[in-house]
Amino acid sequence: MNEKTPLIRISKRENAGKGYIWFVRAMAFLFALLLSCLVFAAAGADPVEAYGTMISGSLGKKSGIRQVVKTAAPLLGTALALAPCFKMKFWNIGAEGQITVGAMAAAFFAINFGTKLPSPVLLTAMGIGSMVLGALWAGIPAAFKAKWHTNETLFTLMLNYIAIGIVGWLQGGPWEGKQGSQVIPNFVEAAVLPKVLGVHCGWIIVLILVVFIFVYMNYTKQGYEISVLGESENTARYAGMNVSVITVRTACISGAICGLVGFMVASGANQTLYADVADGVGFTAITVAWLAQLNPFAMIIISLLFGVLSKGASSLQTGMGVPSSVSEIIKGLLLLCLLGCEFFINYRLTFRGHSVGEKKGCE
Amino acid sequence: MKKLLAVLLASSMVFTLCACGSGSSGAAETTKAAEQSAAQSAETQAEAETTAAADDTVYKVGMVCIGNDNMAYDRNFYMAADAAKEELAADGINIEWVYTYDHPEGDPVASDCEELADSGCIAVFLNSYGMEPAMLTVAGDYPDVVFAALTNETSKSDALENTVNAFPSIYEGRYLAGIAAGMKLNEMIEKGEIKEDEAVMGYVGAYTYSEVVSGYTAFYLGAKSVCPSVTMLVEFIGSWGNPAIEAATAQDLIDRGAVLISQHSDATTPATTAQDNGVYSVGYNISMTDVAPESAIISSRIDWTNYFVYVIRTIVEGGKVDQDFCQHGIADGSVKLTELNEAIAAPGTAEAIAAAEEKLKSGELKVFDTSTFTVGGQTLESSMIDMDADFQPDSQDAVSDGFYHESFYKSAPSFSERIDGITLVNEEY
Repeated sequence: MNEKTPLIRISKRENAGKGYIWFVRAMAFLFALLLSCLVFAAAGADPVEAYGTMISGSLGKKSGIRQVVKTAAPLLGTALALAPCFKMKFWNIGAEGQITVGAMAAAFFAINFGTKLPSPVLLTAMGIGSMVLGALWAGIPAAFKAKWHTNETLFTLMLNYIAIGIVGWLQGGPWEGKQGSQVIPNFVEAAVLPKVLGVHCGWIIVLILVVFIFVYMNYTKQGYEISVLGESENTARYAGMNVSVITVRTACISGAICGLVGFMVASGANQTLYADVADGVGFTAITVAWLAQLNPFAMIIISLLFGVLSKGASSLQTGMGVPSSVSEIIKGLLLLCLLGCEFFINYRLTFRGHSVGEKKGCE
Repeated sequence: MKKLLAVLLASSMVFTLCACGSGSSGAAETTKAAEQSAAQSAETQAEAETTAAADDTVYKVGMVCIGNDNMAYDRNFYMAADAAKEELAADGINIEWVYTYDHPEGDPVASDCEELADSGCIAVFLNSYGMEPAMLTVAGDYPDVVFAALTNETSKSDALENTVNAFPSIYEGRYLAGIAAGMKLNEMIEKGEIKEDEAVMGYVGAYTYSEVVSGYTAFYLGAKSVCPSVTMLVEFIGSWGNPAIEAATAQDLIDRGAVLISQHSDATTPATTAQDNGVYSVGYNISMTDVAPESAIISSRIDWTNYFVYVIRTIVEGGKVDQDFCQHGIADGSVKLTELNEAIAAPGTAEAIAAAEEKLKSGELKVFDTSTFTVGGQTLESSMIDMDADFQPDSQDAVSDGFYHESFYKSAPSFSERIDGITLVNEEY
């Protein structure tokens, strides 16, 4: 034992087994639950009762499950939209804005053609309009990146604020209902997505998208191009791929799906348009996408988990008087642990005195 | 690449937290307040048990709040909720309030409504105008729950039977508060501090919304009823509450010559800005005397207690709640004035207010008496209002018998005329 050996050494862990990976994640989840107990206790709530309230509020009754699905659907749709971009290492953090402009396009048709077109035609126009505008909103930064190598992270982020600003203006300007109210009146019946099993049919759309993205990413030429470009731009170029075209095309697909999510939220859930229509979904979906390791099927589970957490949080507020800020802390802890535990999957800790020491769990 | 990934993950988490965190304030404070209210409710319950035990049922009643108990606007609702609970308990009706916070609009509000209805609430009150669209998307699923959209106006025209609206006649309170302002201006003129034509009031307004227009016009007419030379500047801020902008706007109005500030906005900064500049102020929602003792004369506010009691009692007794709670104001205590700041109010203010209040109650005095103001130099002969929620003022003429019938045909304020003597500094919001 050399004195200079550090107490803990970090080394790369190659090919961690599947069993180990899931063990670490389960431990991280448990650890987050334990940490949250402390938070509950500090807030003066019985942790066992609190968890019980969260579960029974979100999964214990039909209306709870409906709301979980309603929350999970846009998250899942947006995470799916982000997957091709992230695979390509195009850091699209503009989903928030792409959802917002999608909702705006949908609202445009709902407000101007609501009473003139039959519902199926109107809804189709809203859907297509939202996809076109969403694609445009993601396509602009992609085109700039392809042409002038601008930073897409900043560009997509800034476009979020522009989109939200435009809707804010519409809300208080041309589309405002009662003067000075800042409220756009609810859409007419024809512009509202029909419900299936008590939830607007957006959940069916996103489930179809799961299959679409899975096939697109794994079994198509374009999906292959995306993953090659993501691994190395030079390889892609050497293989004769048109990097600019792939970049813009992928961003447009991503933006179009985000736009479609905006349409779902505005038409299905809100039945109107307001500036905060995306409500952080565009950012939360980034976490969903990475937690799922960009796997479309895993995203279903993760987004449902987020749905349970968010519905559970509101049950906590109404059932036990736990403020929503406490629920946000718990959500943050869970995310931190789940993302942080990836460290123990990719690296091993070696303690002085132990040649092959393994530290499990997430601390 | 791994580094980039790490940075991205970290930033995404920050965004997520930011996105979630905005709007909700210090957890500790909220918890403390929740504990306090829990303790209070325990006391009230204990009282109720001793006084009347006609019915053991504890009815749950929900409220969706735009802010939380740190906001003056929401606090006004909590106070009324507690008072209503006490009043009902005295009659043997025991209730328990369930709140959701910090949701101004959209799907979160719809989820709150579902959550509260699911948890067994017999009524759900929504305390802000912007919430009604979201409420309407789910109210149909709970036909046995009454959804009361406070300060809204579409319940009569929507297809649902279980949605109701209410808006007490706050313009009466504004008028009386205006009298206090006019008395103060008179005193300043008499003392020679200002000339007659320098009796300029400044008004910080939220939006060019009829609720705001009705409020500032009533306030102005109250002041004018005692100080005929008064004029007023109104500046809109494009927000219902923003402490920094409200302060800056009050400052701008003072720089433009205002010697007294009033407001239709949620913060107390117009009052504190007035105090910093040595001018007077008249507040809204809550008494501002404790934050600006040398400036704040009086405030007008809506007291929701009556309405809460009315709705809950009606439901418990099996009746049908009126879809529009109309013509409830100063006479039945739905609109109130806060305590007059005697230290700075002009002598005789309390008496002048009391006299006008009596006349309002008896119906002898009308706030929007068309003989007391002109629009474009003309007497107002006709003013159409919207009754069917199509946002077109074409359904009903509110002017008859020599006065504008404010909050008469529908509870929501509708007065939108720009009367002479009031100058709008801007009109873009």
